[in-house]
Amino acid sequence: MAHSERHEDLVAALAAGMELSSAERLELEAHLGEGCARCEALRRDLERAASSLAAQAPAVAPPPELRRRILESLGPARVAPSPARGLHAGIWRILAAAAALSAVIVAVDDARLRRDREDLQSQSAQLAGRLQSAETELAQRALRARVLESDDVRMLILGGQGPQPNAKGRVFWSARARRGVLVAGNLAPLPSDRQYELWVFQKGKPVAAGVFDADSEGRAAFESTDFPEAEAQNFAVTVEPRGGVPAPTGPIVLVGSPT
Amino acid sequence: MRRIEARDADALGELYDQHGSRLLGLAQRILGAGGEAEEIVQEVFLYVWRAAASFDPARGSVLTWLLIVTRSRAIDRLRARRPAASGGAPVRSLEELGEGPASGDDVEADSAGRQWRSLCLAAIGQLPEDQRRALELAYFEGLTQEEIAAKTSTPLGTVKTRVRLGLMKLRERMRPYWESGSHGS
Repeated sequence: MAHSERHEDLVAALAAGMELSSAERLELEAHLGEGCARCEALRRDLERAASSLAAQAPAVAPPPELRRRILESLGPARVAPSPARGLHAGIWRILAAAAALSAVIVAVDDARLRRDREDLQSQSAQLAGRLQSAETELAQRALRARVLESDDVRMLILGGQGPQPNAKGRVFWSARARRGVLVAGNLAPLPSDRQYELWVFQKGKPVAAGVFDADSEGRAAFESTDFPEAEAQNFAVTVEPRGGVPAPTGPIVLVGSPT
Repeated sequence: MRRIEARDADALGELYDQHGSRLLGLAQRILGAGGEAEEIVQEVFLYVWRAAASFDPARGSVLTWLLIVTRSRAIDRLRARRPAASGGAPVRSLEELGEGPASGDDVEADSAGRQWRSLCLAAIGQLPEDQRRALELAYFEGLTQEEIAAKTSTPLGTVKTRVRLGLMKLRERMRPYWESGSHGS
């Protein structure tokens, strides 16, 4: 779609750190996905301008132990094996536009991610108890391990939207393993002809990544085996007809941005 | 940043020495004094350590990148405090936050930092009141356009325009400084 002042409003809102509605976000992602040089330049400039506001917050001398804590937590000085170019484009686009400034992509192996892994593993263990066949259980555990133990695993927190503002979720994914795991909670039960569908945003477009159901307590632990290979910029979950659809039609209930 | 990418921990330490106090100040402005603000700073530097390869100098300065990451994480934490679907009532009043620079110690790391700060404050000071207010509500309190409209009793479209014009004015005021190639934002 052609560049218009409306797009400039959206870019400015993002640059100021404001969240866009799902519709606005998708509209802007689609526009940026087509490549709009004016919006790209505007986004850079207005982000930089917005960061000037930070000058109003006086600098505060940190306690001396903070520096030590940080340097000690860096871990072994190894070179993280990441696909550098893809990571660069992916992270910047996510930080700056595709998911609004409030989405955080974490590509670290720090204590918090270890805790998340442990939480995920215990949740997985609980949910595994409800699966129907032992073979499925075993295969799914292997898949989870493959994602979580990949050294390029990344995480995005998803926030509830629209009809399910209290829904929450996280996606862990490994581009190398081509697998992603969604862990979600507070999902509403759906009518029998509907299912939740996971979407991965690439180049501004949503790509179907599989369907799943929530359990009786509103939780879901879903492994996407259809995980698209190219750089993931954002994730969303919508409600679709059972079996899924190739392009999103239903309401967005989770998207990369905690609200 | 290249040194950090090459796993030079001293380089990360230098980055911390240069910008840590500013990032902590920003996190505190948003979250209040306390452990959470320090946690944010710690997370940000760990993130930089891992994601240094993703820094693109064509998009802005290192300081801009750090401020964006810091603000984003701090707002995430701030939102986590709010009860769900509360309509975004701010957790802290402006009086609590205390506007303006703190009296007493100047903890700016260097003269370049002081220069950046005074230029930014001058640019912000020249904004029309309603544009500045809308931007502050968005940036420091993480309010949405709708929440700002409700809080200031203005139409949504007016809020969008104020945000856009305010940022564009800031851009115009700061542009000579950016183009002079000075380090800092």
